[in-house]
Formats: sequence, structure tokens, C-alpha cells
Amino acid sequence: MTKVKICGLMEEAHVKAADQADAIGFVFAPSKRQVSIERASELAKYAPVDIEKIGVFVNASLEEIEKAVEKVPLTMVQLHGDEPDSLVEAIDVPVIQAFSIRSKEDVSRLKKSVADYVLVDAPGTAHRGGSGNVFDWTLLEGSGIDPSRLIVAGGLTAENVRSAIGQTKPFMVDVSSGVETDGKKDSVKIQKFIQQAKGDLMEQAIEKVGFFGKYGGQFVPETLMKAVKELEDAYTEAKQDPEFSKEYHHYLKEYVGREQPLTFAKRLTEAWGGPKIYLKREDLNHTGAHKINNAIGQALLAMRMGKRKIVAETGAGQHGVATATVCALFDLECVIFMGEEDIKRQQLNVFRMKLLGARVESVTKGSSTLKDAVNEALRYWVTNVEDTHYLIGSALGPHPFPTMVRDFQSVIGEETKRQILEHEGRLPDVVLACIGGGSNAIGMFYPFLQDEAVKLIGVEAAGEGADSERHAATMTKGTEGVLHGAFMKLLQDDAGQVQEAHSISAGLDYPGVGPEHAYLADIGRVEYKAITDEEALKAVITFSRLEGIIPALESAHAIAEAEKQAKEMASDELLVICVSGRGDKDMATYADRLGELA
Amino acid sequence: MNRLADLKKSGRKAFVAYIMAGDGGLERLSEQVKFLQDAGVTAIEIGIPFSDPVADGAIIEAAGNRALKEGITLQKVLDELASWTFEVKVPLIIMTYLNPVVKFGIERFAKECKRAGVSGTIIPDLPYEHRDLVQGAVRQEGIALIQLVTLTTTEQRMEAILQEAEGFVYAVTVTGITGARDHLAEEVRDFMKRVRSKSSVPVYAGFGISKVQHVDMLRDDVDGFIVGSAIVQAFHDNKIEELTPLIDAVTAPSSV
Repeated sequence: MTKVKICGLMEEAHVKAADQADAIGFVFAPSKRQVSIERASELAKYAPVDIEKIGVFVNASLEEIEKAVEKVPLTMVQLHGDEPDSLVEAIDVPVIQAFSIRSKEDVSRLKKSVADYVLVDAPGTAHRGGSGNVFDWTLLEGSGIDPSRLIVAGGLTAENVRSAIGQTKPFMVDVSSGVETDGKKDSVKIQKFIQQAKGDLMEQAIEKVGFFGKYGGQFVPETLMKAVKELEDAYTEAKQDPEFSKEYHHYLKEYVGREQPLTFAKRLTEAWGGPKIYLKREDLNHTGAHKINNAIGQALLAMRMGKRKIVAETGAGQHGVATATVCALFDLECVIFMGEEDIKRQQLNVFRMKLLGARVESVTKGSSTLKDAVNEALRYWVTNVEDTHYLIGSALGPHPFPTMVRDFQSVIGEETKRQILEHEGRLPDVVLACIGGGSNAIGMFYPFLQDEAVKLIGVEAAGEGADSERHAATMTKGTEGVLHGAFMKLLQDDAGQVQEAHSISAGLDYPGVGPEHAYLADIGRVEYKAITDEEALKAVITFSRLEGIIPALESAHAIAEAEKQAKEMASDELLVICVSGRGDKDMATYADRLGELA
Repeated sequence: MNRLADLKKSGRKAFVAYIMAGDGGLERLSEQVKFLQDAGVTAIEIGIPFSDPVADGAIIEAAGNRALKEGITLQKVLDELASWTFEVKVPLIIMTYLNPVVKFGIERFAKECKRAGVSGTIIPDLPYEHRDLVQGAVRQEGIALIQLVTLTTTEQRMEAILQEAEGFVYAVTVTGITGARDHLAEEVRDFMKRVRSKSSVPVYAGFGISKVQHVDMLRDDVDGFIVGSAIVQAFHDNKIEELTPLIDAVTAPSSV
């Protein structure tokens, strides 16, 4: 799917009109579309949080560029002058280098660029920075330029953008004068351009809000429909509000301790003898796992909706602890449902939640694990829906939960992408994350979905073996069905009764999987593998001893699969593992199962 | 289901009984249906057990778990109904969560329901928005898809739901899950009045109805009552006779 950038924005109304675009551009170089840093910063507040904000410069100094990146803030920089490679490399955010194309020679020049992306444009006239002339797209044919780095600009309009995309299949298309009338931006043209560029996909997305392909939806009792719709509206509105995004990022930085490093794992790299291994360190978050990213976001949203009571479910206890933590932070009333079996396995986390002031309700029904805790949390929500928010912990449940949880967790992948470009100057070859419901995985994968050269692997729990009776390998063994508000993949019997899942890891012990993962599996964008209890335990020892990081049992599944992948990879390749949490909570299990070490 | 409309015209109140199929063994289902129709109920909901019944309280969940232990499936229940040779005098309605239907196959479900003599179906986790998933298939077989409205249903939404309602409307009296309660909130009367003023089909109150006093409180504002947990528990305890006063309180023509 080609992304869309609307460039040269100067007015709020046009920034808003571009809210369905993937990127917007502010021109800081001399041009009739030039804006000041202050003005760009003002305008950026009207853009959705997840849109790329790109600054356009011509032969500016590093200081000027850095100042704009910080003040607006910009997420990318686009250079249109004769900037030296040293400047391109000194810029912290991803860089787009623009080239005017007249001949085949110009094409070979742009292939040598050290920037993350290259933008091709028709030659300029009076000012540099885009001319609006149409350039000959056929010049790019057979040029060997990696389409995943290519941005096409120059004379694009709603009428010709589809054929430009068809010919060059670029990463992004960039338009400025093509969406103007009499030299000024035109909101109608902006929206028409985006619609054309995105084609039917957009119409599908608009029509089928809340679905990923056939998965997702809002399969909940009528009593909950009002709450689910209200949440959908509140989230849509919050997503557009720069203040909400600011507050969320404020807490991530000042309270959670982000951003987390992408650590180069030197000894692991040597030991496995394959690709360079990098670790995304979600284990360093306050409370010890990625769960807090989502808990902060949802708690802020709940308060915005005027709800000061929170109910949540928890499996391993990490989401329960994260929820209890934010409830203490924001003075919210908190009830956590947890399966009796999990309470036994995770006593330390139970006490943590109580210490933080939460009420922990033991669930003794069914298998007394995560699935049953979700059932009870849903019943509690049905009964207390008017003043209570259900702070769901994974990318599960009725729309908008899977989308919202993904968005709050996408900070993982966004940071990773920026960091790997800083470290290596290119995207990784393989990215792995463990998957129960799938929140750390979708947060890690989502920013990479369009980068098709990046192989994404989700790792689920095979328990005592995916072919045994005791596993949680939903992707490998599951079939389509409806549970907890969404159409997804499930472990179920022939009569449609949901089966109990089994894993040594309480966080992966769930018989369903988030609807977006089911979709990504169907379209083949993400591969799903399963790792047994024994393999995960072995990875815990390896990882602890080689890197000095004791991982959570959940994360150990991703590590175990990473070793298998590494064996098949070359030394000039890059592999990233999402270390979703630390192992403190699993110490009793480790002491018990790894007794020979004692 | 025309019978329900006729009953409404006659001014008498309907009593819809819910039973969990297979609680105590599938062989009990026919005696339970015979008992209820002889006791004068208007229609019977046959509940299909499900592993994750999030709309249900403890009593129905426990009954479902007992039925699952007996190996009860949607197929077995429909086969049982189809095998009956005695006269079933009241409409039968299958109440099931969506997943067993999806797994069974939606068109197959509709056809098998028809073969088993079922008149309607209620699927509590299939909201109005997603009704198309099932509605076309069941309508083809002449089976009504019963809609629910609740205290949290917004005005606009209620109008849309009522516009398409068939058979009867299931008006939920509590913001919560199924199960017997001592008291119903006063606002429930206004809610029932509102639903009834807008509905072209009979409006039946359900969830938490277990006492004659609930019936007395609401009888002028509804066309009937749905009783679930109280009946399920009574069958389980072998004390179903104790519920005949409740059935009589609803269906007696004199008490208007």
C-alpha cells in the first residue's frame, strides 16, 4: 500500500483535510509555501498523532534542521539542496533526499544516496523544493531502485496518481501543487487525491470500520453496545487531539521511562553465529513489561470520558499490575479479575496489585485462567457499564479495543524503527515478538507492515507440543470463531465450545488471538510459529547467561524462535527481538522448573 | 409466531419459559417441555450450553456447564426436537451464543431449526449491526431472529431495532447479566412504556423476573414476561411445581 504525503501546508483547515494522509510536509526553505518553525509547530497540533510530519529544507545547517525537528516536532526531514552525506547521516530522524530527474544519469546519482528514502521530482524552475512539472516516470523503469525507499513527486494530481503508483509502486507519493487551486491548497482536492491514491482500500476501511478483513467486529450483548460505541467515538476524537497525544507521551516519558533502548546483543550474536541481534527492551518499562503503554493510554481516555472506575482482567498479572499502577497514579477505582490458577502461579503480582490499592477478584470458573478472567470482567462491565471503563489488556475484544490497544502499543515499533535506522542505517530483516492475545506483537509489527522486506514473525505457545492436548497455539491449530466480542481464531471443539489453552506462561495461556493477527496471517504478511514450554525455558537460561537479562516466560518464546531463525540467516543480516517483559514475576516458576541450577 | 400477536390482541399476557437443554440429561427435555406447555406457558426458549456465556449469571452458567458435561451439542438438541412425536403446542425458540452457530454453519443452522420445528432464535452476542450474518439464512426458513433492547439502548438505535423486530422484542429489565433478583429498578416501567409505544410486535420483559411482585409491577406496561434462571433452578432442584403460581399470575385472564 503506497503512502500519501500532502506537502506545503500553511493553514489549519488544510492540515485537517489531510487527516487521512500518511504524511504532511512543511516547507522551511524559500518558497511561496514557506512557513516558520513556530507556525509549523502550531499547525502540527491539528494533525493526527500517527501521521508523519516532514520538514522540507534546502541547504540548511544541521543546527537549523535539529531545531525544527525538536520544536515542531518533525518525524522526518526532506532535503532538496546539495547536502553532503555527512549532514544526511548526522540527522537523527529518517531522511528523505530529493533529486530532480531529467535523464538516466540523474537516476544513477540518486541510487548512491545515503538517505533512508529518495524522492524523485521533475526539475525545478525558480525555487528548489518541488516544481509541479510532470516527470517521465518511465525513466525509473529498470533502474533497480528499491521501491521501498522511493517517493514519487512532481506533477501528481488526483487524475494521474493511480497510474504513477501503478508504474513505480513507490513507498510514498508526494503532492503539493496538484492539490491547489490558484496557488492555494484546496481541501476538496486534498481529500480527492488521498482517496484516489488509496483506491478501494480506503472505501473498504471506511465501510468496514472495526474489521480486519473478515475478523473483528462488535459481537457483544446489547447492554454493552452503547458503551462500545461511546468508546469508539471518544477514541476517534482523542486520536485527533494533539493535547491527548501530548499527555500520553508525557506519561510514557516521565513515568514509564521511555524511550527504551534497542540493545545490540553482542554475545547472543556471537553464540548464534548468524545475523546481528538487537533487543527491544520493553523489560525496562516501569512495572516490567509493555502492558503499561496501553494502560496509560486507556486510563487517560477513560478519564476523558468521565469514567473513574476501571475493571480489567489479567493472566500473568502484568496487565493487572500495570492497570493497578495507573489507577493509583490517577486515583481511579480498580477491580482486577484473575483466574485462580494464575493467582497461584503469580502470587507476587497479586500482592503487588493489592499493595497498589486494587481489588483482586479470584475467578474459579472454567480453567480458572485468562479466558475465564475475561468472561468475568465482561460480566462486571455489563453490570457497571454506566460509570466503568473496561481496560482490556491485549489486542482483543470488540472494536475499538483491538485498534486502540494496537495504537497505544505502536510506540514499541515506532521507536524500534527509528533506532535501527540510527544504529544500522537500514531496516531489519526479521522482527520477532511473542503472541498470546497479541498486543506487544501488533505494537511492534504495525509500523513495519508496509515495509514488505521486513519479515515479521509472531511466536505463540505450543505448551507441551502443538500436537498434544495441552497447548495455546491458536494460529497453528485454531479455527474461525467468535469469542469476547470479536470474530477471530480460536481453539474450539467441533461443537463450537471454546477449549482450554495450556502454557507454562500465564500471559500466553489464551485460546484466542487478536483479530488483526488472524488477518495478517491470512494475507501472509506475518508468519506465526509455536514454541514449547521446554524450548522457552531453555531460552531463559541462554538469554540470562549471555546477555544478563532474565526475560519473562512470554518473551522467552520469541527468543527461542529467534535462535531457530538466526541459524538460517547470514552475518550481514539484522534480527530484532521484542523483549516484552522481564522475568521477575516468573522467578518461582524458574526456581521450580530449573531446579537443577539451584 | 403469529400466535404471539393474537395473544397480544386478546389482552392476555405471555409467559415465555427458558430451559437449559440437557441440564440433567437430554432425555429430560421432552418432559420439561410437556410440563411447561401443560402449565400454560406461551412459548419456550431452549438454551444451548456454551463454554463462555458472558451474558449469563451464575445459575444459567452452572446449568450450561452441567449440560456440557453431559456432552450436549447444538446438533444433539436439534435432533432431539426433530424426533419428538408428541404434540408441541407452543412455539420453540433456540437461544444460543453465536459461536456454536458459526461453527455449525449458519445456513445449516437455519435448515436444521426448521426441520426441528423451531419458530425463532435469540443470539445475545449478535448485535443489530451484525444481524445480516444470520438474518438472511433464518428468514429464508421462516424463522424469526428475536432482537433485544436494553436500558442502555439509545433512542435512535431502539427505533432502528424495533423497525425490524419480528416475533417479539426481548426487553431486558436490568443493566447486567441474567439471574433472579429481589427488586427491579423503578426506571424499568418507563423503559417498558417507551419500548411498547414504539413496537409493532409484542414486548416481553426478561432478565431477573422471578417473583409475582415483578409481574405485578410491570404487567400494565408489557405484553409478557420471560423467566429463565428461576425455572432452570427449579428444574435442577426438582421443585418446578413451585413456579406454577408465577405462571398463573402472568397468564390468568382475570388479573387485567
